[in-house]
Amino acid sequence: MNRKQTALRPYFEKMSDIGKPLSDGEIKRSEDNIKIIQEQEEIISKAIEEVKNTGTPSDTIRKRGQMTVWDRLEYLVDAGTWCPLHTLYNPRTNEEGCTGVVDGLGKIDGKWAAIIAFDNKVMAGAWISGQAENILRVTDLAKRLNIPLVWLTNCSGVKLMEQENVYADRRGSGAAFYRHAELNRLGIPILNGIYGTNPAGGGYQGISPTILIAHKDANIAVGGAGIVGGMNPKGFFDLESAQQLINATKGFKEKAPGRVETHFDETAYFREVHDTEVGVLDGIKEYMSGMPAFDPKVFRVAEPALPKFPVQDLNRIIAANQKRPYDAIQVLARLTDNSEFMEYRPEYGPEVFTGVAKIDGFPVGVIGNKQGILPKYPEYAQGAYVGIGGKHYRQGLIKQSEFVTLCGRDNLPIIWLQDTTGIDVGDIAEQAELLALGQSLIYSIEKTDIAMMCVILRKGTAAAHYIMGGPQANENNAFTLGTPVTEIYVMHGETAAAASYARRLVKEQEAGNDLGPIIEKMNQMVKSYEDKSRPVFCAQRGFVDEIVTLPDLRKYCVAFAGANYQNPKSITPIHQMILPRTIKG
Amino acid sequence: MANLVSPMAGNVWKINVAVGDVVEMDDEIIILEALKMETPIYAVDAGKVVKIEVKQGESVSEDQVLVVIE
Repeated sequence: MNRKQTALRPYFEKMSDIGKPLSDGEIKRSEDNIKIIQEQEEIISKAIEEVKNTGTPSDTIRKRGQMTVWDRLEYLVDAGTWCPLHTLYNPRTNEEGCTGVVDGLGKIDGKWAAIIAFDNKVMAGAWISGQAENILRVTDLAKRLNIPLVWLTNCSGVKLMEQENVYADRRGSGAAFYRHAELNRLGIPILNGIYGTNPAGGGYQGISPTILIAHKDANIAVGGAGIVGGMNPKGFFDLESAQQLINATKGFKEKAPGRVETHFDETAYFREVHDTEVGVLDGIKEYMSGMPAFDPKVFRVAEPALPKFPVQDLNRIIAANQKRPYDAIQVLARLTDNSEFMEYRPEYGPEVFTGVAKIDGFPVGVIGNKQGILPKYPEYAQGAYVGIGGKHYRQGLIKQSEFVTLCGRDNLPIIWLQDTTGIDVGDIAEQAELLALGQSLIYSIEKTDIAMMCVILRKGTAAAHYIMGGPQANENNAFTLGTPVTEIYVMHGETAAAASYARRLVKEQEAGNDLGPIIEKMNQMVKSYEDKSRPVFCAQRGFVDEIVTLPDLRKYCVAFAGANYQNPKSITPIHQMILPRTIKG
Repeated sequence: MANLVSPMAGNVWKINVAVGDVVEMDDEIIILEALKMETPIYAVDAGKVVKIEVKQGESVSEDQVLVVIE
């Protein structure tokens, strides 16, 4: 009789149960919490709608016989798999409200890809400010997860009115072409569906990927159709030169170079040319079917299972009031398969939990902050003060470093659930070596070559935001998510105002001056900190790669785990993993 | 008779009940404050508040009785 099973079944098939159903009391008293979260969700949804509706109206694009970027993505991506990223990203506060590209993680023909498309509603897909940085985040994502990058190119080139913000610079628009070259060098394929007119920078967007599939009306070229009238010898424009320009423009009939008759019929750069826009997308789907991907069973340790408790509970569990604690294990129980968890050293470093969970049947490491008062902890401050969840102490930092190192050894990707107010401070904390232990955690992360996903569940504060696999972990962090209750700042606004103005208050009072103006400045600072730490601000600045609803977190965890195990660069045979044995002892 | 006790040292931030109030299990009775965090104390059973042993703003120690519910 033939028999089959997953590897290390005794460890992974059934882990410890975590979580419990919400009590009637918890449900009753969390009604206000839901309202606060819904208010934030509405603010975020409104901002997203504005971005989606920016530029030329969709109907106008469709009347021209074209699909919008959203139509193209809808057709291309497998239903239910789209995990958008950078929707609100607009670091240079462009008038367009976005960076002119739309991107995310999604499945095409059953395989995960990093997908990015020019928004043809925004100046025909022009290079605009902040776009290059957005593109680099997506090429980094493909590199980190070792998954194909899929481009839908439709790029009219630099928005000439603001070329100084777009063209030059170390991380300017041309850097993307080097990233494409890097991905190709690393064996990460880039599929490119090409639409419209793509001159100059648009031409390199067209040529730099691995496989080029064009629409019949597309072109890619070193430059455009020529600039009418050439250089103006006067060095300025007047009525006479304007008239010359008008006459020349009226007689200008040159076609854009690099059309299909050149780059399919002559140079054969284009693998395929399609008469319809949908045909291009079908071509990409067909190529995706040939992209490298393991059968998930190679890496799964159990059958995929939903959490036992509803993900919607997260809107009741995570307190919108930042001063309120919540049960972090209850959060975890709404994210992991079958609400199970194999915890690493639960008695040590109680301010954080570390352990192995299953996400869609794949093993992942999870690290997160616990919340609430920690009596008789930290051990080095007995009699001086007590610990509180959200802060990091000596044991917790050591535990995280150990766990990250073991995950690196076992090739387990890590999901960080961050809600942190910082690392313990003061002379006692310094004697307990917290500064070095924080940096040691950074070293442990950098020393591994594993992908990480970070969720700022609520607070991302002080250096703790960096050390917990935050977006600053450039080599490991695939993406960072915020939620409707996310706040990211170096410290709370009131703390910052006190730090900035305390001495000034003393000075003014000793001089017998009115304290009112200083107090007003302090309150302005508090308000500024609040405004500049809200979820939408964090997304616009790129502090997070996307704001997602709390129930959607599970979907992103599934995308992360699936993409990570699609074609990993390094494999630890499951039966040779050491972390599950270390946990069991 | 059930005593609600403080799980930690801190300050009484808010008292949500008065003597004579009828409370349900899981109702928020008192909010303590320590280390800039609020810690709500919930009723462990339904009953009537017969005694409030602390005042708003008062410092409390671990295991100190806060409220008596009958």
